[in-house]
Amino acid sequence: MKIMVCLKQVPHQDARLDVRPDGAWIQEENVKFEINAYDTYALEEALRIKDAGEADVFVVSIGPDRVTQALRTALGMGADRAVHVKDPAADASDALGTAKILAAVAKAESPDVVLMGLMADDDNFAAVGPMLAELLGASHATAVMKVEGTDALTVEREIEGGALEVAELQKPCVLAVQTGMNQVRYASLKGIMAAKKKPIDVKTVEDLGLSGQVGAESVKVKVEKIYVPPKGDKADMVTGSTDEIVATLVTKIKELGVL
Amino acid sequence: MGSILLVAEVQKGRIRESSYELVTLARKLADTSGRDVASLVMGKGVGDLAKELSGKGGGSVSVVDHDLLENYTVDAYCAAARAAIDAVSPDLVLFSHTPIGWDIAPRLAAGLDVGFLSDCFNIEVEDGNLVFFRRVFNGKLDARLTSSSACVVATVQPGATPAFDGSAEGSVKALDVTLSADALRSKFVEIRTAAKTGVDLSKADVIVSGGRGVGAPEKFTEVIEPLADALGGAMGASRPVVDAGWLPHERQVGSSGQTVSPKLYIACGISGAIQHLVGMKSSNFIIAINKDADAPIFEVANLGVVADLFEVVPALTEAIKTAKG
Ligand SMILES: Cc1cc2nc3c(=O)[nH]c(=O)nc-3n(C[C@H](O)[C@H](O)[C@H](O)COP(=O)(O)OP(=O)(O)OC[C@H]3O[C@@H](n4cnc5c(N)ncnc54)[C@H](O)[C@@H]3O)c2cc1C
Ligand SMILES: Nc1ncnc2c1ncn2[C@@H]1O[C@H](COP(=O)(O)O)[C@@H](O)[C@H]1O
Repeated sequence: MKIMVCLKQVPHQDARLDVRPDGAWIQEENVKFEINAYDTYALEEALRIKDAGEADVFVVSIGPDRVTQALRTALGMGADRAVHVKDPAADASDALGTAKILAAVAKAESPDVVLMGLMADDDNFAAVGPMLAELLGASHATAVMKVEGTDALTVEREIEGGALEVAELQKPCVLAVQTGMNQVRYASLKGIMAAKKKPIDVKTVEDLGLSGQVGAESVKVKVEKIYVPPKGDKADMVTGSTDEIVATLVTKIKELGVL
Repeated sequence: MGSILLVAEVQKGRIRESSYELVTLARKLADTSGRDVASLVMGKGVGDLAKELSGKGGGSVSVVDHDLLENYTVDAYCAAARAAIDAVSPDLVLFSHTPIGWDIAPRLAAGLDVGFLSDCFNIEVEDGNLVFFRRVFNGKLDARLTSSSACVVATVQPGATPAFDGSAEGSVKALDVTLSADALRSKFVEIRTAAKTGVDLSKADVIVSGGRGVGAPEKFTEVIEPLADALGGAMGASRPVVDAGWLPHERQVGSSGQTVSPKLYIACGISGAIQHLVGMKSSNFIIAINKDADAPIFEVANLGVVADLFEVVPALTEAIKTAKG
């Protein structure tokens, strides 16, 4: 089985986010990046399929130089090889542009399964998976919590309230996974050493035959600005020393009559 | 001007509340921009539901009634939605951001090669143009977006607008769509409801929940649980806590966990992503403890404390014990 895993590098969950001067996105300087949490589960699932049988697992990421770090981590965890789409034209894409780039990579590789995250923790689009499936003419499932089988795949997707929808998918298929589907491994020291010899194939938009079709000029959706949400007037903020804070909270809790 | 097509969703034999929220939004946009409202209802035996929607603000309702739409599959639902889009030629297509909406809406947008926006909490018309508002970075920032394509597909956050509950006479038209089981690349097997467990958070008067900010499984036993115990309440959690295996799924509060509305909800080290908020925001009184003053949880809290939970929570636990005598 050949498995493609899509990884996006996003700001660390605890990173301080500042809006950059043009207002259109965050300031990336001095921000620590990490692999999007959802995508780590996708990679883990691919590696489990490989551990259980035989699979060629390759990871793909679109992004600037810093993305090399994410790809190295993935190789250290056990992925066999990596494709890095490194091109300013690619970075400026919207979700559909991103899907087109990933589709071009997939068409050249013909994976049986594409595993990726349900949603990127930065743009929160949850769009690239289904879009990629459409561009590939493949079936798909989102919020996937379990994958079984080798021929047709039986997947469990999470729906509301913790219920699960079970579906059977023909291959090739795109699976956009939900967090918590497995426990993600760490890269071992041995893995990290071995990763140094694994190839990272760097590609440009032109290499993929997509010149003029993706990137800033082709976006169909434009972020005009991002901003700190206007403050509602809901919470009364309790300030003071810990003792003062606690006293206020206790008074309130008593008033609520729950003691 | 063109029209707005809203795709209604049938769940357990009824049109979902969130579909009527789309009606409110579509009518607002239609009124301010001179567009028409059209709707789609798809499923098996849904003729009456289409009629209901047409009488309650859905405008010109297309109905696709087919055996293969009894249960959700990507291909069948996409084919039906695509047929309605082709028939109506809308310049805006709206879905609710639900497991069905977020599954097919982006796929349809890619097939049409048009703009797509997900999980919008509002859409406005400004100078004749559609402007979309949605959260990014899990609610830490908001974004304002526009689209340059002639048609735009968007999903709308459930609960973001009130559901339309007026009446407005529309029409119903059946739409024929050819579907064959052989052409479907995925097959519905079954829905498995969440297993019933011993912990029913919905019955607790007080819930003390911990999030990723609690940092480690033993900290739940040392810090969160003692406060819950002192208050005679139950312990809850956000999703990352459950994902990491620190607490079982039955403790999870939110859209994919339990929905709760206790007399008192205390959120410790929880940022307040929308998927958590929908599970607890109807609590009678909410106290949030978070070291980040900008955390979105403070938007729904009644009392907010910007502090390290490891200082405030143990002190609060002791004070509650003392207060109870
Ligand atoms: C389809 C779908 C369904 C989902 N369902 C759910 C669901 O049911 N329930 C749910 O909760 N989430 C759900 N999520 C996930 C959700 O989007 C968020 O990722 C999640 O709620 C974040 O959890 P958190 O607030 O604990 O973590 P984070 O967002 O990482 O927040 C941690 C917070 O802790 C604070 N903190 C850190 N240290 C301290 C300290 N010492 N003292 C005080 N504060 C501290 C930080 O300032 C931060 O605000 C779902 C997501 C999707 C896409
Ligand atoms: N720049 C990127 N490089 C590789 N994969 C990506 C990229 N952007 C998005 N993806 C994949 O698409 C998923 C959904 O992203 P989104 O639709 O932006 O929320 C992510 O979890 C990734 O698996």
